Amino acid sequence: MSVLSVCEWLQSVPWAYGIKHSTWEFPVVESVHSLALSVMLWPAAILDLRLLGLTMQRRSVSQVAAQFLPWVWTGFTVMILTGALLFCSEAVKCYNSPFFRTKVVLLGAAGLNALLFHQTVFKKVAEWDENATTPWRAKLAGASSLIIWIGVVAMGRALAYA
Amino acid sequence: MLSESLRPYFEWCGNTWLGTAVRNTTWAFPAIETFHLLALAVLLGTVLIVNLRVFGLGRQYAPAAQLARQFEPWLLASLGVLIASGIPMAFSEPSKCFESVSFPIKMGLIVLGIVSQFTIQRRWVINGDAGGGKAKLAAVLSIVIWTLVGAAGKGIPYV
Repeated sequence: MSVLSVCEWLQSVPWAYGIKHSTWEFPVVESVHSLALSVMLWPAAILDLRLLGLTMQRRSVSQVAAQFLPWVWTGFTVMILTGALLFCSEAVKCYNSPFFRTKVVLLGAAGLNALLFHQTVFKKVAEWDENATTPWRAKLAGASSLIIWIGVVAMGRALAYA
Repeated sequence: MLSESLRPYFEWCGNTWLGTAVRNTTWAFPAIETFHLLALAVLLGTVLIVNLRVFGLGRQYAPAAQLARQFEPWLLASLGVLIASGIPMAFSEPSKCFESVSFPIKMGLIVLGIVSQFTIQRRWVINGDAGGGKAKLAAVLSIVIWTLVGAAGKGIPYV
């Protein structure tokens, strides 16, 4: 059983087929997907910018993280759920699209970047929490996250027009 | 929805250098839309962070007025990017915008959003008593208006 045949089966399932072929379902799910981006992306970017020392320098990094990470997780959950629905409704198109494949790789990279950050430099945040200038690993994590998420959005848009 | 008498103006936009350039460049539209979406995330994200704080979310961190002041430059900058990226997209497909119901609704909501930002947001949230009824009204209006702007934008290709 190939991945492609799974995708073919997936988009033929009645509810998935319904999302793609009804007048309202696809644009509504897509709207929620785009709106959830605001809940996730900007709070994530604020933390990234703090890690780069570009905003909220007077607030400690851990406080900025505590304030904004719940937003990121809330938005991310909605994005994954609505994204899964959109994927199911046009699974074959996604499977064949280099943009979708790149998007999945970038999402993996974003996860890995966040995991590495939390497991390494953020564990010792107490040592540099109040500093406006953060360690280079924190800067690297912030810059990587910003670039990766811009790429994720760009791939999503490219996928829609390909 | 729009009066037929406006059609020539839309057609004029489509024939400008800007409209033709975006139409004739393969990846221009999705590339511009990427920036449009990123800026929307900044604008709507800020609107949510500030205005949900009026309702007590994140009480332990900073008062709503302080958040609103701190984030206003980001809000205005993202609005600038949204307008600057929205114009070439609209110019590239003016007939779609003209036929669409979502487009004029979106434009009306943007005007409403900008007016409310400089009037009731400034007065009641940024400079006001953030726990009061007026601040709450301004907060709800802001969230509803800007969310609908985003949703109406998504609606342009469909209705």
